Amino acid sequence: MKAREITFDASYQPQVRTKTGTSNIMLDVIIALVPAMAVGVWQFGARVLALLAVSVASAVFFEWAYRKLMKKPDSIGDLSACITGILLVLCLPASAPLWMPVVGTFFAIVVVKQLYGGLGKNFVNPALAGRAFLFFSWTKLMTDWAIPNALPAGMAVDGVSMATPLSLMKAGEVVSASYGYADMFIGRMPGSIGEISALALLIGGIYLLAKKVISWRIPVAYIGTVAVLTVVFGKAGYSNVDWMMCNLLSGGLFLGAIFMATDYSSSPVTLNGQLLYGFGCGALTVLIRYFGGFPEGVTFAILIMNLCAWAIDKATRKPQFGVTKADVKAAKKAAKAAKKEAKA
Amino acid sequence: MPYKFRGGVHPNYMKAPQEEVVVITPPKEVVVPMAQHIGAPCQPIVAVGDYVKMGQKVGDNTAPLCAPVHSPVSGKVIKIEPRLHPLGDLIPAVVIENDFQDTPCTDLAPLTEEELKDPNAIFARLREAGIVGMGGAMFPTAFKLKGGIGKVDTLICNGAECEPYLNGDHWTMKLHPEEILKGIEIARVACGLDKAYYGIEKNKQDAIDLLNSLNPAKYGVEIVPEDVKYPQGAEKMQIKAITNREVPPGKLPADVGCNVISTQTAYAIYRACYEGVPCYERILTVGGTAVNKPYNLQCRIGTSFQYIAEQCGGFVRTPRKIVLGGPMMGLICTGLEAVNVKGTAGILFFTEEEDRTVENPVCIRCGKCITVCPMGLEPVYMHNYFKKGDFENMKKYHILDCFECGSCSYNCPGRLPLTHSFKTAKLLFAAKAAEEKARAEAAKKEAENK
Repeated sequence: MKAREITFDASYQPQVRTKTGTSNIMLDVIIALVPAMAVGVWQFGARVLALLAVSVASAVFFEWAYRKLMKKPDSIGDLSACITGILLVLCLPASAPLWMPVVGTFFAIVVVKQLYGGLGKNFVNPALAGRAFLFFSWTKLMTDWAIPNALPAGMAVDGVSMATPLSLMKAGEVVSASYGYADMFIGRMPGSIGEISALALLIGGIYLLAKKVISWRIPVAYIGTVAVLTVVFGKAGYSNVDWMMCNLLSGGLFLGAIFMATDYSSSPVTLNGQLLYGFGCGALTVLIRYFGGFPEGVTFAILIMNLCAWAIDKATRKPQFGVTKADVKAAKKAAKAAKKEAKA
Repeated sequence: MPYKFRGGVHPNYMKAPQEEVVVITPPKEVVVPMAQHIGAPCQPIVAVGDYVKMGQKVGDNTAPLCAPVHSPVSGKVIKIEPRLHPLGDLIPAVVIENDFQDTPCTDLAPLTEEELKDPNAIFARLREAGIVGMGGAMFPTAFKLKGGIGKVDTLICNGAECEPYLNGDHWTMKLHPEEILKGIEIARVACGLDKAYYGIEKNKQDAIDLLNSLNPAKYGVEIVPEDVKYPQGAEKMQIKAITNREVPPGKLPADVGCNVISTQTAYAIYRACYEGVPCYERILTVGGTAVNKPYNLQCRIGTSFQYIAEQCGGFVRTPRKIVLGGPMMGLICTGLEAVNVKGTAGILFFTEEEDRTVENPVCIRCGKCITVCPMGLEPVYMHNYFKKGDFENMKKYHILDCFECGSCSYNCPGRLPLTHSFKTAKLLFAAKAAEEKARAEAAKKEAENK
């Protein structure tokens, strides 16, 4: 082998890269969602599998078709469309008709994600935006909660649907009289397919943390804010701690805090910004639950905070290396003085 | 206890070649490039046909910032012509035909006891022996130490060797611990300081123990075991770890009272002062999936990469890339006929296996680049502004603070060429500044002419 016969590649450093690529991260998120999906199937039967299949298939199809039509490089290999499909189903009621995820994923993938440039460019969470779209278009279908297979012992139900703990709370009833904390924690209650079991969602969250896919900042700030606000501002008929527990364990808080608010492209990238964003999500969730027209506030809290993500990023930058606070102050003062001088 | 710096990554360290350091015989033809340092290039001071001894000076320049070069072998000068420099250009070089006698040159005598205490004698020796920063920057050491006098209160020897693959420094510590300590002592005396620090990553515990067993306090050196994290060995991080001082943007280590020399530089200082041997040899690591047997080689300056690869059992696969130094910050060389220089800490021959670039890099805004940036920068935004050509915002996001450690690119799951863009942006900024300067000068001239 002679030296002249080989040509060498040239590129700037670094010449090595970590193994973890985009698709590895997305696959980890799908794995983390498996417990929540399993609870959905356990509580609502094989129908959930059909919804999941339709949703994932349509999400991937829309992603592929849009990129093909627009002559853009194919991107279904990054698996992000699969996640959108799964997440959308997880925030639907089990009684949703099969066409519903198709409409939802069309809005999520084509309108919210691809029209703005695809993965990493969408400024709100596609799955949540899809859910919000379905919620406003078919409010009745979206709040028709199917009766789960397992309910707290001794609970009698008739009919084909029932109210969720959250709507009972909105109506002023004491939820903990009929649902124990353990029931709510495991998921023995009605609600969206993927939101009912805090346990399953926590397992997924711990997996994501261990794999360093997400940081603790957004979920902890989010759930912590809700806990503090609800324990401080209690409600008549509940003890403050009881009210807090019911607020934490019912509704889509864990699903939202662990899987929706942490969506990379619609959340802040700075570390302090992520904390601030989590506080904002938590505060808005509580505000909507207390004063809003709907029982649940997670969807809209996250969507509103999504819109603030870039502004938060700009406001929470780290200090420059080698520049102390005193230096920054001095520089500001100098700039002000210079401005004054220019005016005079 | 070392201080912590933010960010950093833990790449796969790949410190494979753990066998003895292999001493290779220099090749038949040795090429000595005239530029092996930052500063004015040397002029050849020998002519074709001259006989040179091993260690004889073959190139020098009277410019203040310069380090002379020496012949690594004894033999006959057969050509003086431009040759491929490892960093890309064709640079004049003295080509010497090796006579395999290694007849030593005695121009430089070992320094006497008194001279070893006299900073001026030490600086003169370091300059004459052509000592430069052997960690890769190749800045003339005499100039660096001299420039710090009066400003510098802390001398640091850098033994972090945080780059994957490389372990030439580790081997130097194990083979010549006392010599390194003596070398640091000389640099410390030259700077007029009472104490020097030697920062070593904890993954070299055997070397730390060995150095500590030699009573480093006797030489005025304190060994500081440091956390294993890339880029611990970057100058700014090393200073932060040992003194908790941060070098302000655009400033030099001397501005915060620190000077940093590398392990192999300390060893070269020892050899120049105690043995009168100039800088013409070093330990370097050869690695990568293309070579048959990765080795640590004790190798003369001016040995071609082709010859080095042959000494390592040749190629088992076709190399795609030649990396000089470590894979994180190492630069690319484009030809096997290039030779190693004083700052070549390693030569890595990479194949497709090490390559993880993709056709369509996509940013998913995961923010992993921000969590690893040791300078606290925001590569995700810097890259966006770079793509738009928005220079104002690039400056606002402190793109010029980036010292190209590569942590962001390393950690990017979307495989974005982050470091690549920042390096390009910095070059564009430099070009812009030069252009503006030229324009201002032209305007000034015009005004004068009027």
